[in-house]
Amino acid sequence: MHISEGVLSGGVLVATWAASSAGIAVGLKKTDPEKIVGTALISSAFFLASLVNLKIGPSSVHMTLVGPMGLILGWAVFPAVFVALLLQAMLFQFGGLLVLGANTFSLGTSALVTYILFGKLARKNFVWAFVAGAFAVVLVACITGSMLVLTDLNFLTSAKLLVLAHLPLALLEGVVCAFLISWLKRVSLFAL
Amino acid sequence: MKKLFMILSLVLLSAGEIFAHGVGYRESELRAIPLEFSYSTGEKMSYCEASVFSPNDSKFAAQTGRTDEQGRFAFIPDVSGDWRIVVSDGQGHRCEAVIKIEDVKSEAFIESTTNQSKFIPAILGVSIIFNIALIVVNRRRSHAH
Repeated sequence: MHISEGVLSGGVLVATWAASSAGIAVGLKKTDPEKIVGTALISSAFFLASLVNLKIGPSSVHMTLVGPMGLILGWAVFPAVFVALLLQAMLFQFGGLLVLGANTFSLGTSALVTYILFGKLARKNFVWAFVAGAFAVVLVACITGSMLVLTDLNFLTSAKLLVLAHLPLALLEGVVCAFLISWLKRVSLFAL
Repeated sequence: MKKLFMILSLVLLSAGEIFAHGVGYRESELRAIPLEFSYSTGEKMSYCEASVFSPNDSKFAAQTGRTDEQGRFAFIPDVSGDWRIVVSDGQGHRCEAVIKIEDVKSEAFIESTTNQSKFIPAILGVSIIFNIALIVVNRRRSHAH
């Protein structure tokens, strides 16, 4: 999901840009050179998945693939998400350049937290992979909602609606994540 | 007999659903052209028959209707060209207007161009991502040597 341009306050934009930049720097440092092409593949999938887009209030909903991205890429998810979001903003006018930091932060952080919490469990078990996929989407919605509320308390209702609107998507992404991870494991791709 | 009656009832009940088409509406992005028709005396041509002929078909009207009390009638052109609007009061008075439409943006056109314009940026985006990856790989390799 993307937050549209001109919604978030300056403070939130600066803070999220700083956090995202740190995430990208660590991600680039931690990325194994042999995994860079694989990272590009995942980044491309994320870039294309966002073409299926539904607008809800000041934000928008679409397949994020944030769960599988986190589980597969780990820290490398930050540069992968950043490049994909930058190209989406430039080529499709999704999100925007000023909110790029905020959008990278919400998606990157959710993917990374999912990786830290469920990285090992999701590789072992189909159900955990489903939980990881669903959790990642709910977390993105919560972080996006928090950024809206930090901008203006009047966004509280919008933020609640945003999280609720993402619950069906969370279930769907959970299923996609479970099948994707088990398939990648079977074909021994991305060292799963 | 009871069974037959039940089957018939079910068929009749379901028929209601089969024939009930869903309907809806949305605001069109097309621009309407409002025209005002009047007699030479200044009197409005109220409630007169109006026919609109598109540039593609000069024989069959694309739209028919009546002017309002003030002699106004609006039509919505969806292709560029000369649109002909004929208003007649059925008593020998007939007014014909030809409106030249130059830059019409029909919704079908907008949709098809959006789909088309998304396809090329999508390929471009994927290509850029892989090019960035190759640049990073090459830089890492040159640093390693």
